[in-house]
Amino acid sequence: MRLNKRKIIDRLMLGIISALAIASAIPIFAIAVNVYSEGARYISLNFLIDLPPPPVGGGGGGIGPALVGTLVLVALALAIGGSIGFFTGLYLSEFSHTRLAQYTQMFLQVMVEFPTIIVGLFAYMILVAPLKRFNALAGAIALSIVIIPYIALNVREAYKSIPYTLKEAAFSLGVSAPIAYLRILLSAARRGVLTALLIGLAKAAGETAPLLLTILGTTFTYFGGLDQPINAIPLLIYNFALSPYEKWHQVAWGAAAVLLTIILAIFIVSRLIVKEVKV
Amino acid sequence: MMDSEKIFLLFLIVFVSISLLIVAGIVTSLIINSYPIFLRDGFSFIFKSVWNPVKEDYGILPALLGTLISSAIAISIAMPLAISLAIFSAEIAPTSVRGFINSVSDLMASLPSVIYGLWGLYVLAPILNQYIMTPLHQYLGFIPLFSTKPIPTNLFTAGVLLAIMITPFSSSIIREAYNAIPHHLKEAAYSLGMTRWEVIRTLLGYIKSAILAGAFLALGRAMGETVAVAMVVGNTFTLPRSLFDMGYTISSLIANQFPNAEAYSYMMPALYSGALVLFTIGLIINLAGLYWIRRVVTRG
Repeated sequence: MRLNKRKIIDRLMLGIISALAIASAIPIFAIAVNVYSEGARYISLNFLIDLPPPPVGGGGGGIGPALVGTLVLVALALAIGGSIGFFTGLYLSEFSHTRLAQYTQMFLQVMVEFPTIIVGLFAYMILVAPLKRFNALAGAIALSIVIIPYIALNVREAYKSIPYTLKEAAFSLGVSAPIAYLRILLSAARRGVLTALLIGLAKAAGETAPLLLTILGTTFTYFGGLDQPINAIPLLIYNFALSPYEKWHQVAWGAAAVLLTIILAIFIVSRLIVKEVKV
Repeated sequence: MMDSEKIFLLFLIVFVSISLLIVAGIVTSLIINSYPIFLRDGFSFIFKSVWNPVKEDYGILPALLGTLISSAIAISIAMPLAISLAIFSAEIAPTSVRGFINSVSDLMASLPSVIYGLWGLYVLAPILNQYIMTPLHQYLGFIPLFSTKPIPTNLFTAGVLLAIMITPFSSSIIREAYNAIPHHLKEAAYSLGMTRWEVIRTLLGYIKSAILAGAFLALGRAMGETVAVAMVVGNTFTLPRSLFDMGYTISSLIANQFPNAEAYSYMMPALYSGALVLFTIGLIINLAGLYWIRRVVTRG
């Protein structure tokens, strides 16, 4: 009798756990289905190039300026945030015994969890307020700051994972430190480093909150210089989804399908890289 | 030879210093910019419920409550899901699909929040309204929590959307700890004649600190999330009286009011000080999370 009761509870709990686990994964599939069923039909070459449509009347329009803006912002963020994050991560791994490294690592772990809107407030203060104009550079700096801790912590992992014997071998060649770290050991850690950069890339491409306070999201011009306002795909989705115009909602869904595709592509590439390591 | 090494070390330290300077800069900018309103009102603006730009009178209590309520809803829905998902992928699911489950979970964690927001606004909110909030209000409306007649965008919707967003993140922390449990412990548990559920329950006790860490870090994320919440929370500045009230959170208040702030003299400081409050709460919660995660690491 007692054994039966235990067996029943066992079955029951395993069932509940499985049901909850499956329920928690439903949203991602729902999101993918909804985004593509609502958004995919608007995507065409013209959608990627054209200016957004006027709220009422006119043709289908597109997300050209926002796509250009996202490319500019992400490229800058990856260049700035990527290099700061990379060298910080390298230091954290190779000089992990120093107090500076320990403190920096703690700060970065806290920084990863910073609400990103706070980064936007910071970028506003140092780059928007002095220039008295929303500008692309402020957005790029804000995105750089957002991705630095992700890249640094992941690059640290990548360098940490290099076997100690390999590190010893590299230095026993008698080459200088930069060559040992940046040519020999980087090639050993390249997949981890690449993954770190891809994580940063995905983060920068999808981040919205700091852009609200820095780039304004000008809708009808492409790129006018780093000191000028600019748009980005996530910001366009946010602004258009909250607008009262049905047509802009459609553009928002189309843009979401584009963004989701970009994120999926980055995700799949990074998975393939990781898998290759195991082989 | 020695020199190139020293120069390289210095070179690295320059970058490390930039990272540290940014952290310091962010904290300083919050303090400097919120200073004027602290000087004028002291701490009272945290506990006041007023947003009157014309009179330059600000208090962020409704937004603070909105942040606490929506993230409390989020964490209470997310934790059972996150623990289940972690156990399912580490213990119950066939080995061949575990990799797939983990990939899906990681993908969910890296989806941009604006996509969650768009989906939350146009798909989730109407569904919640029709099938959960309206029935709850109709049949249990006498309970104060459900007393407001719901419209699709409100604190509850924001909480559910946040729960969906933080579940995979929290789950991955728990999963890693669960997978790191020494194998002999699991074998010992089974050899006592325990059923699978009894083994799972015992092992969950063993990774209590990881579960706490997962909860705290996810809570920190929920509190700081901006755009997804701003899209579904209703953005209305009133003290919430029930879960179905439209509201604000601190971060959505900043996102929403910032464009107007330049025109007034104290709105900008009010928003920066809101961010400072959010930052302080978030810092405490995240440090608690990191503390618990460190306990997992040192024991493992």
